[in-house]
Amino acid sequence: MLQPRTLQINGEARTVTAPDDMPLLWVLRDILGLTGTKFGCGIAQCGACTVHVGGAAVRSCLLPVGAVGARPVTTIERVGETEAGARVQDAWLELEVVQCGYCQSGQIMSATALLNRIPKPDDADIDAAMAGNICRCGTYIRIRDAIKRAAARA
Amino acid sequence: MSRLRRASLIGLAVVVMAAGVAAWLVLPTRSMAFAGGSAVSLASYRGPDPTGVPAELRGADLVTRGRYLATAADCAVCHTAPGGATFAGGLPFKTPFGTLYSPNITPDRETGIGAWSESDFLRAVHEGVAKDGSRLYPAFPYEAYSLMADADVLAIRAYLFSLAPVRNTPPANQLMFPFNQRPLMAIWGALYNPDQRFRPHADRSPAWNRGAYLVEAMAHCGDCHTARNLAQAPDNRKKFGGAVIQGWRAYNITQDRTSGVGAWTDAELAAYLREGHVLGRGAAAGPMAEAINASLSKLAPSDTLAMVAYLRTIPAIGSGDLPAPRTDLASDLPKEMAAGDDRRGREVFAGACASCHGWSGKSPLFPHANLTGVRAVNDPSAINVAQVVINGARLGRAGGDVVMPAFGQTYSNAEIAAVANYVTARFGSTRSEITARDVARLR
Repeated sequence: MLQPRTLQINGEARTVTAPDDMPLLWVLRDILGLTGTKFGCGIAQCGACTVHVGGAAVRSCLLPVGAVGARPVTTIERVGETEAGARVQDAWLELEVVQCGYCQSGQIMSATALLNRIPKPDDADIDAAMAGNICRCGTYIRIRDAIKRAAARA
Repeated sequence: MSRLRRASLIGLAVVVMAAGVAAWLVLPTRSMAFAGGSAVSLASYRGPDPTGVPAELRGADLVTRGRYLATAADCAVCHTAPGGATFAGGLPFKTPFGTLYSPNITPDRETGIGAWSESDFLRAVHEGVAKDGSRLYPAFPYEAYSLMADADVLAIRAYLFSLAPVRNTPPANQLMFPFNQRPLMAIWGALYNPDQRFRPHADRSPAWNRGAYLVEAMAHCGDCHTARNLAQAPDNRKKFGGAVIQGWRAYNITQDRTSGVGAWTDAELAAYLREGHVLGRGAAAGPMAEAINASLSKLAPSDTLAMVAYLRTIPAIGSGDLPAPRTDLASDLPKEMAAGDDRRGREVFAGACASCHGWSGKSPLFPHANLTGVRAVNDPSAINVAQVVINGARLGRAGGDVVMPAFGQTYSNAEIAAVANYVTARFGSTRSEITARDVARLR
């Protein structure tokens, strides 16, 4: 018998019934309807499913919901309400980073987590933090520029 | 003394010494010799029977008991080819002398063992001789299985014969001369197979004796964890001191505190055998994950504890090249790193590894992916790190398997070597120096 569990999602307590080993991504998309977070590869190799768990960028496609516990989860739907998330999204729009857009939820989540951890990242910091987020349109150069612009406004 | 006479004396001494060294290199050694000479026959042992099935299965039917024992002996892992029917054989074994294929042990009368009588099966398991009289190769661990009680061998046969026959002829062995001459294996058997049933030790606990039976007669741990002598027989003077087999490193499982499992608690050893993972010690992969998935995870709790009780008494042997695992986390910042930072390794790690394993060694996803404290990461040969990168890993779990994808098709040998060296430098106590050529040999 599955027990309901309460998760802290985007500042709200949400109660869901899901097995411990269900990936957080499925809970977000299929149970809670938060479809801004994308399914890409399913093996934590592309970064499209990135969300924040306890402030850290985490691949939700492999994170078992049973491992989330009381840690707050932030998704692309509400990251713009955080200070760093707003700066990142503004910079993204100003520099027209997005092309097809599929990977961009994950890119923005990883970039925001980076700025929260390293407020003034250099190229090496950006490369290391963003290497796991791949973009088939090749927007990497604009992503790097936008992260620097967002950092400059802190 | 004449010069001639002195020369002949020296010559004689050299011959005697060479013979001594040769004998030392191939001398048969018994797997339980370390336990001393207090062994008694099963019939005269007064403690609880260390053979057979655990208490909860004692009343079960023969086939059910046989299934448990076949699981404990881990028959299926070797007698099943990737993608093939269980027990239908065909798994390749790459040896220094060529490639062997496991036979079909389903009850098919023509291609399996369906025509084998009870005595045929007993002779194969205890003596390494097939029904037609041909000698089996010691890739089949009959030197361990010869410890098995007759009743247990026959229960396994009853279980195998209860399964559906599968018609399958595995590929013919490809061994170089003279190893392709099966009759020569009679010499090996005579030297290295004591062909003696398990003898309990009256001065040890019932749990120790049960554990000894499970470890030696059933799980045959020494076939991977004990280095082999020149004749490819486990050299029990180095019992459980670790060895490289099938391209993976089976680590030291003696009680040595630095390089073995002497510093592990009983609870940690039991959890590892049952679940293939202990927080701060690491997760099983490769052949050990197979042994856990197919065999060790399915044993009764009392049997797991018995194995731990026995393993606790294995004399410590140090593996000189294995340092104590580093236990502190690395920096969470990618740029911060002690010596050994390598740009290529860091880029592969950033792109393929960091999102699951994290930069500090503590996984943001699940504890199985932690790299801190793991033996393979603290092995300066980096053999198992490279193998896991090439082949990935899969650990069975009730709630769903824990899986690492395989990267062998994605990355070149040079990239895999670079990331293995990066991982050992960042998270381990000693940076490895594995090369692209080494990685090529592991594939």
